[in-house]
Amino acid sequence: MKILVTECEGSAETAAVTMRYETTLRYQHVFGSISPFLEGLEHGVLRATRCETCLSTFFPPRPYCPEDLEATVWYELPGTGIIATATRVHVPTTFVDIEPPYVLAILRLDGVDGSIMHHVLGQDVPQPGTRVRATSVGDNLRHPLLRVAFQIERTP
Amino acid sequence: MTTNPLVVGLGMTQFTGFSKNASLTDMVRDVARQALRDAGTSASSIDMGIACYESDHFNQSVSLGALWHDAVGLVGKPVVRVEGGGATGAVALQTAKAAIESGAARSVLVFGGETNGKSVERSTAMEILALSADFEWESPLFGSFAAPYALMMTEHMRRYGTTEEQFANVAVKNRREALSNPRAHKGMTISVEDVLSSPPLADPYRMLDASLLSDGAAAVLLATEEWAREHSSTFGERPPVTFVGSGSSTDHPRIADRRPENLANFAAKREAARRAYKAGGITDPLSEIDIAEVYDSFSGAEVQAYEDLGFCDAGEGGLAAMDGRFDREGQIPCNTSGGLMGRGSAVGATGLAQAFEVVSQLRGEVEPNRAVPGARVGITDTHSGAGALCVVNVFRRAA
Repeated sequence: MKILVTECEGSAETAAVTMRYETTLRYQHVFGSISPFLEGLEHGVLRATRCETCLSTFFPPRPYCPEDLEATVWYELPGTGIIATATRVHVPTTFVDIEPPYVLAILRLDGVDGSIMHHVLGQDVPQPGTRVRATSVGDNLRHPLLRVAFQIERTP
Repeated sequence: MTTNPLVVGLGMTQFTGFSKNASLTDMVRDVARQALRDAGTSASSIDMGIACYESDHFNQSVSLGALWHDAVGLVGKPVVRVEGGGATGAVALQTAKAAIESGAARSVLVFGGETNGKSVERSTAMEILALSADFEWESPLFGSFAAPYALMMTEHMRRYGTTEEQFANVAVKNRREALSNPRAHKGMTISVEDVLSSPPLADPYRMLDASLLSDGAAAVLLATEEWAREHSSTFGERPPVTFVGSGSSTDHPRIADRRPENLANFAAKREAARRAYKAGGITDPLSEIDIAEVYDSFSGAEVQAYEDLGFCDAGEGGLAAMDGRFDREGQIPCNTSGGLMGRGSAVGATGLAQAFEVVSQLRGEVEPNRAVPGARVGITDTHSGAGALCVVNVFRRAA
């Protein structure tokens, strides 16, 4: 903790003391069972999981089938899908090194049940039904989820 | 046979953008004293405390329950810290209700607060609040809750034809209501055009569609009637208000996991309301509920809540926001306090501040110029994240 300044307004019974300080925290985050998915993103490959008992597919991938409680198996997706809903975000965040505005969408991917929220390249808000394909972006100084983004292939 | 607890004491600070003269503990002490005085009782008669604050990051503190007990004369009594995002205070009330109905306690002081205003910079505050989204799958993509709320509202607009003008009306209404609430953070006289010309956050939401970041605290004292007769000197001075029902439900926290048909609304809110109404004996919400505090984190979220709480049909919320039926003089006045947009949002205190407003209205104790005369049944509605955990609480005044 680094104290930047302490300040006092008023005196005695009316005093109001405030302190500004700065703190830097270094974390190590464990991704655990979703690591095979994130490793795939480094090569632009999207992976999902499947229950061999009931053949349900999971995306985001689940390590166990919630119905059968069996371990699932990994498989590769084609990396294509459609936009279900999209918005344009104007607020900057330190979470990601993208200059706003940027497009955020809910995407339904081919080859699996389930959807993912992710970035779509470009600044215009695409219509639902727009086809997209995953593409590699960024480097390992990003959150591993952000090693891909989706580019528009075809509008509906 | 369980007996629902009575609300025997209330306390609330002025909500503000920056509480410079009172620390979080000062504010919590203040509201605890107010609640004890309101009940006409002392700390020694309280069986347990429930401490509410959402985040450890705004005050760099954990385990504040024992510290707050020390501040308000409850040392020696048990304390539980409850956290449920924006629903924190409502979950705490639900927990206190269960403690009383189980017989584990006869009186529970629920108290909490948050310093969301200026303890960190606004952009940092948004990122801290965004931590209630999934850190592995969603929050790194947006860093501010405007984005997932915007996706939900985009879907609502697409599905039902809801317009920006319609939900801007909510932003105007709630800020107007706050003007007459002396404890509100920031009332404003604004127009729909002001909302539509404010800076964009995430389409379709703009700055004035969003709620405030506030400093504040609130407390609610719940007890059995037997306890009230024995320990509350103000019992009998006014019609008692009973906490008759509480319902909660969860949805997939990642909104991409929600069923497509559930993206335009809060499915968990529908279920929470169903449970709360069942417990509270409400069969027709529109005709039986007299007043509601609705979780207006964004203007459109209040529109969606009208539908999910059963105040109107799915898809009708936008029209309802236009025709005044949820204004103070309307069918169910919503957010007479000003809501999160006008009264303000000190996250850990929000559910308690909502209960403060509803119970004050049912008691007929608010300022005459903003009273809802004759109100008998009131509800509060809160949620965490973008509707991941939803809690509806029902209060009823004796005849």
